[in-house]
Amino acid sequence: MTDTSAVVSVTALSKRFGSVTAVDSVDFEVRENTIYGLLGRNGAGKTTLMQLLTGQDFASSGSINVFGASPVENPDVLSQICFIKESQKYPDEFRAKHVFKSAPWFFTNWDAAFAEELIEEFNVPLNRPIKKLSRGQLSAVGVIVGLASRAPLTFFDEPYLGLDAVARQIFYDRLLADYSEHPRTVILSTHLIDEVSNLLEHVLVIDQGRIIIDEEADALRGSATTVAGTRAAVERFTAGRTLLHSESIGGLASVTIQGQLSAFERADAADSGLELLPVSLQQLIVRSTNTSTHDFQASA
Amino acid sequence: MITDERPIFMQIAERVENDIIDGALPEEGQVPSTNEFAAFYRINPATALKGVNLLVDDGILYKKRGIGMFVSSGARERLVSKRRDRFVHEYLHPLLAEAAKLGISPTQLGELLRDEASATASAATPTSASRKEQLS
Amino acid sequence: MTRIWNVVRLHLVNRMAYVTLPWIILGSAFLITIAIWMILRSVGVTSGFDGSASSPQFSGALLSILIYLLVAAVMAINLTFPFALGFSVTRREFYLGTALTFGLVSAANAVVLTVLASIEQATNGWGLNGRLFTVPWGGGGTPIEHWFGFFALQLLFSFAGAAIATIYMRWRINGMVVFWVVGGAALVGLFALIAYTNSWAAIGSWMTANGTTGMAAWSLLVSALAGLAGYAMLRRATPKN
Repeated sequence: MTDTSAVVSVTALSKRFGSVTAVDSVDFEVRENTIYGLLGRNGAGKTTLMQLLTGQDFASSGSINVFGASPVENPDVLSQICFIKESQKYPDEFRAKHVFKSAPWFFTNWDAAFAEELIEEFNVPLNRPIKKLSRGQLSAVGVIVGLASRAPLTFFDEPYLGLDAVARQIFYDRLLADYSEHPRTVILSTHLIDEVSNLLEHVLVIDQGRIIIDEEADALRGSATTVAGTRAAVERFTAGRTLLHSESIGGLASVTIQGQLSAFERADAADSGLELLPVSLQQLIVRSTNTSTHDFQASA
Repeated sequence: MITDERPIFMQIAERVENDIIDGALPEEGQVPSTNEFAAFYRINPATALKGVNLLVDDGILYKKRGIGMFVSSGARERLVSKRRDRFVHEYLHPLLAEAAKLGISPTQLGELLRDEASATASAATPTSASRKEQLS
Repeated sequence: MTRIWNVVRLHLVNRMAYVTLPWIILGSAFLITIAIWMILRSVGVTSGFDGSASSPQFSGALLSILIYLLVAAVMAINLTFPFALGFSVTRREFYLGTALTFGLVSAANAVVLTVLASIEQATNGWGLNGRLFTVPWGGGGTPIEHWFGFFALQLLFSFAGAAIATIYMRWRINGMVVFWVVGGAALVGLFALIAYTNSWAAIGSWMTANGTTGMAAWSLLVSALAGLAGYAMLRRATPKN
């Protein structure tokens, strides 16, 4: 868990498109063999950041170090990376079988038997042209490549558009099981935070091109609480605390505060007739990125 | 199963403790591997490991190199006494404080407890009887 | 080198793109041409373009495979490039692998075309006095000249397609507009220059002097320039969604 085991280290990284700054002077590290969540709203800079880390795009300024070197045009680095994108393009007239036939040429850790199991589980039609696959089947092709490639550094950028709940659960389960047996670094970018929050060991939240949370997932759990009750009681209880969010209807208020509560404080809240509600990772991030839950989900 | 209230590794540690206290995990018995915990609870294996390691540090579990994790002998007793201490702290202290506020003396409180206990016991009996009927 | 070779395999993994489809297209063009020639013959038209009974029929069907290769090269940059980046290929590896694919495909196709040209010569134009595969040589030429000419033509169309698609990949629609406007203006300017200096005859005699093989050799220079330009542009190109 020291700097020496960092597979990615980024310093003062920025990416500008004309007057728009997509990634704004970002610093962070990614530890080896850890599952990271890269979370944030649409347009927050998640995809751009991953494009930069995989050498698909060029930084405006700052430095990127992946496996000890710059990833740009670097075969030694790139050969250890697999980047699965939601909007992946495929060659014209390609069928799923062509993808799975060519993938082992590029991913040296490719496990063909595992790929076949996954193809069966996700029910991917191998002989149908990629163009004619459903959105979910298309996502499944990407997910299978991402899992079976077993690249030491795997990026999944919103990999499951169109996958139903059952297929998504298969993805999570297979990812966990395979990660347990073949530890590697996984960076998962997603809107479906509640679904994946238990899989993540570390969370990076990006908002308007900046990393606003870089924290162990477990440390975030219980790091905020929503206090609900009469407005007067809530105001008294939350006085002097860091407020993440507050809303009120008539004489009732609901306020999300940062920091853990002691047993004494919990008892005090109960005495005052206040209700304490746990804050999920998704709610916490929604609060931190200053958007309502509704907006957040609508952007998914 | 897993809630958002507290860190997952603490919840895992607590679940293992509960299983040891109620005998589901006997002393000197093998504990599921972290990968099994991860798959079962659908959590990150590193998080499961952190939870299990918490118990190893407490001496509740011990590692056998290359085989796995086992429940230490005497673990149950130690957990029960730890939980008793916690029970006093978390339940009895607030109870006494609230009772004092309402003017209930410790003696009255003792009577109340006895009455309440027998009431729940008699209420529970028919339920268990009817359950037996359903089973037969 | 292995990774560059893997890019070649990636281009060829789907036989449809570079093996089946171009020959289906050329095959249909060939059959349609033959059918037209037979229909013309059956209604008594035996003369060719200059009206004399002995002159052969010429067909531009060969262009179909060249146009197809140009389109395939555009697709290779537009779709296979972003796909290959997803497979962790570098731009350099992709471009070199793609150029190698163009070379191999052109060389292999040229062998088949040469055989067809020889058959055409041996059968007096498929028994119909037609010229389809030997058009660039006016019906003449040796197999070696044929192969070299076919090879060079295919390379030219492939690298031109790749270079144009790379302009799009790098600068999107703005790049296309600039390219066609500037390119069109340059072409008009060139024609004007030739016309005002009365150079058409000189160019004609220069081309005649070079012959088909000489022109094919010159086209290799153009292909090489297009290839270098494509490589220089692709090195900084980013696939966009």
